[in-house]
Amino acid sequence: MRLLLVEDDELLGAGIEDTLTRARYAVEWVRSGPLALAALEHGGFDAVVLDLGLPGMDGLEVLRRARAGGCLAPVLILSARDAVAQRVAGLDAGADDYLVKPFDVDELLARVRVLQRRARGGATNVLEHGSVRLDPVALSVTHEGRPVALQRREFMLLHKLLAAPGQVLTRAQLEESLYGWDGSVESNALDVHVHNLRRKLYPGVIRTVRGIGYVADPPA
Amino acid sequence: MSRSLSIRAVLLGGSIAILLLVLGAAAWIAYRGAQHEADEVFDARLATSARVLATLMAAHAQGGPAAPGVVAFPPPLDHPYETKIAFQVLDAQGRLLLRSASAPDQPYAPLEPGFSTRDSWRVFTLQSGEHWVQAAESDEVRDELCAKLALAAVTPLVAGIPLVLVLIAVLMRYGLAPLAELARRIERREPASLAPVALARSTAEIDPVLRALNGLLGRVQSAIARERRFTADAAHELRTPLAALKVHAQNAARAHSEAERHASLERMMAGLERSVRLVEQMLALSRASAARAAAFAPVSLNQVVEDALDDVLPRLKERRIKVSVASDPDDAELMVHGDRDKLTCLARNLLDNAARYAPAGSAVRVGLGAAPGAATLSVCDQGPGIAPELRERVFESYYRIPGSPGDGSGLGLAIVREIAVQHGGAVEIEDGDGARGTRVRVTLPAAASRAARDT
Repeated sequence: MRLLLVEDDELLGAGIEDTLTRARYAVEWVRSGPLALAALEHGGFDAVVLDLGLPGMDGLEVLRRARAGGCLAPVLILSARDAVAQRVAGLDAGADDYLVKPFDVDELLARVRVLQRRARGGATNVLEHGSVRLDPVALSVTHEGRPVALQRREFMLLHKLLAAPGQVLTRAQLEESLYGWDGSVESNALDVHVHNLRRKLYPGVIRTVRGIGYVADPPA
Repeated sequence: MSRSLSIRAVLLGGSIAILLLVLGAAAWIAYRGAQHEADEVFDARLATSARVLATLMAAHAQGGPAAPGVVAFPPPLDHPYETKIAFQVLDAQGRLLLRSASAPDQPYAPLEPGFSTRDSWRVFTLQSGEHWVQAAESDEVRDELCAKLALAAVTPLVAGIPLVLVLIAVLMRYGLAPLAELARRIERREPASLAPVALARSTAEIDPVLRALNGLLGRVQSAIARERRFTADAAHELRTPLAALKVHAQNAARAHSEAERHASLERMMAGLERSVRLVEQMLALSRASAARAAAFAPVSLNQVVEDALDDVLPRLKERRIKVSVASDPDDAELMVHGDRDKLTCLARNLLDNAARYAPAGSAVRVGLGAAPGAATLSVCDQGPGIAPELRERVFESYYRIPGSPGDGSGLGLAIVREIAVQHGGAVEIEDGDGARGTRVRVTLPAAASRAARDT
C-alpha cells in the first residue's frame, strides 16, 4: 500500500517514515504545501498523513483544494492544533480522521488501517482471498492455515492486489506502490515478485493481464 | 496587625469635640456679653438712684439738717431684685445721716465719686453739696441675670447637639458609602476575576483609589494573559518535538534489527537535543521578559560579544564560519548600562542565528559602534537574507520562516528584541553588506544616558 506523508519537520517526518516503512507501506514524503498538493493531484495513494502547519500553503488549504479537484484518497490529519474547533475544521475540510501530536505510533498505524478498511468497504483488517489470509497488523500471510514467509516487497504487492480484488492494476501503479517515485526499479523486478508469490502460495493467486498488469481474481 | 483607625470614628469624635469647644466658647462669650450689658444697665440705674436721692436730700436740707436715722422703705413689692438695692447718705465728714434698712452703719466704700466694688456689692458714690450719697446693689442680682441670659442663649444650641450629631452621622454614612461599596465589591469578588471595579456612585476621594486599583488589576490581568499565552504557546510548540521523540522511541522499541534500532536511537538523540534547546530558549525568553530583578550596571559590549562568541564557537567551527569583530572607534571599550547576562544572551542569539543560517565557510562580521547617546551592536551574515515583508514577523515568538533549514526554535529574535526593549533599545533588520545576507542591528542607550532612562 502506498501512503503520502506530508510533514515539514525533518525529525518527526523521518520517524513517521520509519514507522510506516517498517509496517510495510511504501511512503512518499513531501515537506511543503505546494508539493503536497501536486502529489495529491498526481494521485495513486491509498492514504494520506497530513500535517497542517506547512510552508508555502497551510495543510487545510491543501486538503480543500485537493478535495475540490476530486481527490478521494482517505486523509488523516496529524497536527499539534488540538482545539475542538480546529479538529472540526480539519474534518470539515475533507479529512477522514484527525490525530493530535504527540501521538502513539501504534495508534497512527491502527488509524491508517482503518482508513484503508473503510476505503475498500471491509469489516476487518484481515484480507481473505480463498485459502490465502493476509494480516496487516501482524504483517503475516497464511495459505491453507500454514504461515508463509514473504519478503517485504512480496507482502506489499500481495497486500495491494488483495485490497482490490478483481481490479486490474497496471504495472506502473504496482511499481509505484512498491518503490515510490524515486526508487530505481529493475525492469523485471515486478515479474520476479509475482513469480515468487505464485510459487510460495499457489499459481492462480495472481493473474497476468497481458500488456496491462496484474489482478487478484475474486475466488469463485 | 494593629487595628486601623476608623475614618468614621475620627470624624464623629472630632466633630463632637469641636462642637463642645465651640459651644463652650459661645456660652462664655454670651455670659461675658450679658455681664457687660447688665453692668451698664444696672450701673446706670444705680447712678440714677443716687442722683434722685441726692436731689431729694438737697431739697430736704433746706428745711434744716436732718438727724441721722434709718429710712424705712415701704414693704417690698415682692420683686425678686428689689431688696437688694440699698443706699447711705453721709455728711462731708463721712458721718452716716441716712441709710436704707438693708445698708450697713459704716460707709460702703471710701468717699470718692464714681463706681467701686466692695464685698460683692456694687457701689456708686456721689458728692452733692454737703452730702455724700452711696447707692449699692448686691452683685448677686446681676450675676444671676447674666447667668440666666447666657443660659438662655446657649440652651437651644446644646439642645441641638444630638440633632447635629445625627445629621453628621447620616452625612458621613452617605459620604463614605462608596468606600464601603468598594470594600464589599472587592470582598465578594471571584478570586479569578480581574475585571475593573465599578461603583454606582463615586467621590473625588475614592476616584484616585479606584483608578489606581483598576490600573493594577489591568496590569495583573495582562501579565497573567502573557504568562498564559506563553504557556499555551510553549505547550503547542513542544508537541512536534515531543511527537518526534515519541515516534523514534517507539520505533527503537519495535525495531526488527539492531541497525533499525540504532538509526531510531540516533534520531531520538537529535530530537532530544532539539527539545532541550527549545526548552532552553523558552526559558531564556521567559527570563528575558521577566521584570528586571537586579539593578543595571555598566557593561562592556566588547566583553559581551566575546563571551557570546565563546558559547557559539563549536557551531561556528563545525560550519567553518569566520567571525570578525570591528569596533568603531578603534578598540574603544563600548559601555552600556544593563544586565550583563541578558546582553550576553542577546549577542549569543544573534551569533547563533548567523552560525545556523549563513552558508558553511562564509564570513560573519560583528560591528560595535558608538553614536551620540547610543551604542550599536550589529551582526552581518552572508546567508539567504530575510525578505523585507518578513522583517517584522521574524520577531514573533515561535515564528520561523517557512522552509528554514535546521531545528531552530523560532525564539531567537524574539529573545533579542525582548532584551533590547528592556534596555530601552531597539532592533532592526537590514540587508547585509552588498545587499545580500542579513544585518541585525541592535541599538542600546549608552551608559551615560542611564540617569535619563532610570527616572
